[in-house]
Amino acid sequence: MKRFLTNSPQVRQIAKGLKLSRPLLVSSIVIGEPHTGKKTLVYDLFPQIPTVSGTEKDKLLHLLDEEETLIITSFEAVNYFDRLDFSNKRIIAVADGRVNMKEIDKLFAFIYTMPPLRERAEDIELLSRLFVKEAKERLMLEGTFDIDYSKIDLSQNVKSLRSSIYRQALYTDFSKEQIEGFLYNYFLRCCDDDYRYKRLLALFERPLLEAGLKRFGSQLQLAKALDINRNTLRKKIHEHAVE
Amino acid sequence: MSTPLNETIDFKAYIECDNSPFILFDDSGKIVYLNNSAEILLGYVEKKTLYELCIQHAPKSYGFKTITLSLQFDSLHFYAVTVGYRDDEHICIRLYHKPRIGNPCNASKPHSLVLTDINILLETSITWFQLENRNKLSLLVDQDIPPFYLDQNLLSKLFRKVLHAFRSSDSIDIALTYLAGEFVIINGKKEAIIQLQIKANGRYYDEDNTIESLANEVNVSVSFQEKNITLHIPCLKSKP
Repeated sequence: MKRFLTNSPQVRQIAKGLKLSRPLLVSSIVIGEPHTGKKTLVYDLFPQIPTVSGTEKDKLLHLLDEEETLIITSFEAVNYFDRLDFSNKRIIAVADGRVNMKEIDKLFAFIYTMPPLRERAEDIELLSRLFVKEAKERLMLEGTFDIDYSKIDLSQNVKSLRSSIYRQALYTDFSKEQIEGFLYNYFLRCCDDDYRYKRLLALFERPLLEAGLKRFGSQLQLAKALDINRNTLRKKIHEHAVE
Repeated sequence: MSTPLNETIDFKAYIECDNSPFILFDDSGKIVYLNNSAEILLGYVEKKTLYELCIQHAPKSYGFKTITLSLQFDSLHFYAVTVGYRDDEHICIRLYHKPRIGNPCNASKPHSLVLTDINILLETSITWFQLENRNKLSLLVDQDIPPFYLDQNLLSKLFRKVLHAFRSSDSIDIALTYLAGEFVIINGKKEAIIQLQIKANGRYYDEDNTIESLANEVNVSVSFQEKNITLHIPCLKSKP
């Protein structure tokens, strides 16, 4: 089972509130964007509790009769509020995105809003390091690499962060043969309109120039390293709009 | 021959424990004597107000006069007062409590009442509240409050709504205390009262109706002031 990790003071406060409510027969809900860790948090704090989705109406109503404690996921799918009675129950619900706040306000004692990852700088760093470790283990990668935070994707919170870290991890580990293999596959699949030499050459030249400038620090040094004329280099930099 | 009653018996002890507030003023409005209930009353009203009541309702000549009138000081309600004086130097007042009668608990849901340490409920509510309001708050809690029966879910909702009224306030003071000497009658039984008071430099009023509604559901009386909200929660020792 996944452990919930956070360095965010706000999320820690949510966890504290939920922990305090453990001995109480109260209803709590955690609302937020998808993939922000709501379910992981709830499962971590309330292990081995019967769980049902809000999409399974009959099962939910049945479990409400049978169980004192219940986790309800996908609460955003619930639209049968008048059938729900949380008296004398310990309910922990999770909802993605938009919910009927008027009904939520009536039903629940405690309403928590999980902030999106872009508002949790401390967790971006924490999770990125965790995903780097994960990526290296799962993809059997060697060596180290520095995370380029300018290239991480937080559009889908933890899900897209993990994906972008895995990609970065992979990129640092490609051998020459693998890169040639990627290019080969690309050239095999790309459409006929794109099959122009100059256009395809850009696939190689542009990243070469970008990386080269970062690595060597100046056009002069890069030109020397590449063993090409400085004017030629300048022309190519301008052509590929490299900054 | 028997000794006259009033020469030998010290009646003060009986007045001291009387549930009705009793105050003896001198002719300048200074308090000469007050019983325990009156001390509690002075937590809700100025002594000047009570002295003015004396003057307003005093009998025309030496003696005692009882009149019925409805008085409310915060959550304390009175239905009559007795004012009397036997000389020009002193005047006394005794107020008669309108007994607090709670609505009988919802007969279909006695199962929702659970023996609870209210401190945990309050702490959980404050933890939630601090997500909305990061300003410093002071908390005074009477550690001697015993666990008692309450509806945890409904009371938590009520606490949340009350705290939400202070979502932008600072200088927030929260006090949870056992009201010694005060009680409410529920289902014919006298139950002690726990007071939760939240005070700040200001508050919202937008949900006062909802708060009142929720309070009624859990037998809690609520009193709204400009900058504070006070809840009186019955301390049920057993399920009705």
